[in-house]
Amino acid sequence: MPNTEQEAAALPPEQSWDAIHATMDRARSSMYVAGMESIMLLWGAVVALGLLGQYALTTLAPGFATATPWFPGPLWGGLTAAGVAASAVLGHRASNEKAVGTAARRAGIRVFFFWLTVASAAFVIPAAAGLWTADVEGIMIARVAVGIVALGYVLFGIMHRPVIAAVGVGFALVFYLSSHLAGDAAPAISAVGTLVVVALGSLWIRGSNNR
Amino acid sequence: MTDEPIVLDETIHQSTRLRIMTMVVGQADSDRLAYGFIQQTLDLTGGNLTTHLRKLEEADYLVMTKEFVDSKPRTWVQATPVGRRAFTEYLANLERALNWQPNA
Repeated sequence: MPNTEQEAAALPPEQSWDAIHATMDRARSSMYVAGMESIMLLWGAVVALGLLGQYALTTLAPGFATATPWFPGPLWGGLTAAGVAASAVLGHRASNEKAVGTAARRAGIRVFFFWLTVASAAFVIPAAAGLWTADVEGIMIARVAVGIVALGYVLFGIMHRPVIAAVGVGFALVFYLSSHLAGDAAPAISAVGTLVVVALGSLWIRGSNNR
Repeated sequence: MTDEPIVLDETIHQSTRLRIMTMVVGQADSDRLAYGFIQQTLDLTGGNLTTHLRKLEEADYLVMTKEFVDSKPRTWVQATPVGRRAFTEYLANLERALNWQPNA
């Protein structure tokens, strides 16, 4: 891109038009991903806590897990609610560091409702499919929920920052591979793998923001 | 189509300043953008951005304000009504230039 006055004189109208559209797209996307690096880490921690909590209860307190087979519901529900609230705070702070006013507020609200929809779908779709019953293994619900969350990352990433889509794919791969191959240790391995994937994604976003 | 010559505002018709104006005018009237956000989005050095912001400020197209947020200094950039009018006019002229055909 030319930066000097002499080069500006030669700036063709077509290039100006393209620059305007490219800038608008980039500014909008930058606003939508405000705080994403911190929010991704937060959700990595939420997922890891949920998986480790589930793993700890089933291995260290098998009696409790057998007596209350529905315990993953409240565990994940509580963690998700806390995650959504914390994400709203992080996103609001990050957005206020970039811009103040209507546009930033609207972008924040849209992003918030996007992720709220994804998180709600991860609960509602398995329920609507009839998976929330005692006859269905908990892992089946988790497989569907993880697929929905990963899809959320992929869609958001395609729209705004490809690395976020890569995090979604990485998160799904870690979960599905360990759940099929790692046996009883799957939740623990998934937890660690998820943290590694989101940490790498977060570092990538932070690095690209600082360039 | 009018026969008036197409004149593009020289202050805006420069790659970096055009992109700055696009970002700043693209917000609502009362919206302000952080200096760091503009720098990061447009991938500019601090010195380069400051030079172009000053030029736009001298033309009264935007205002820069400084304030402390959580004890940290932050510079905000906001479009002025003059800047918004100039940019709208620039866009109209740019559209004319794009549609212009010799001997039309």
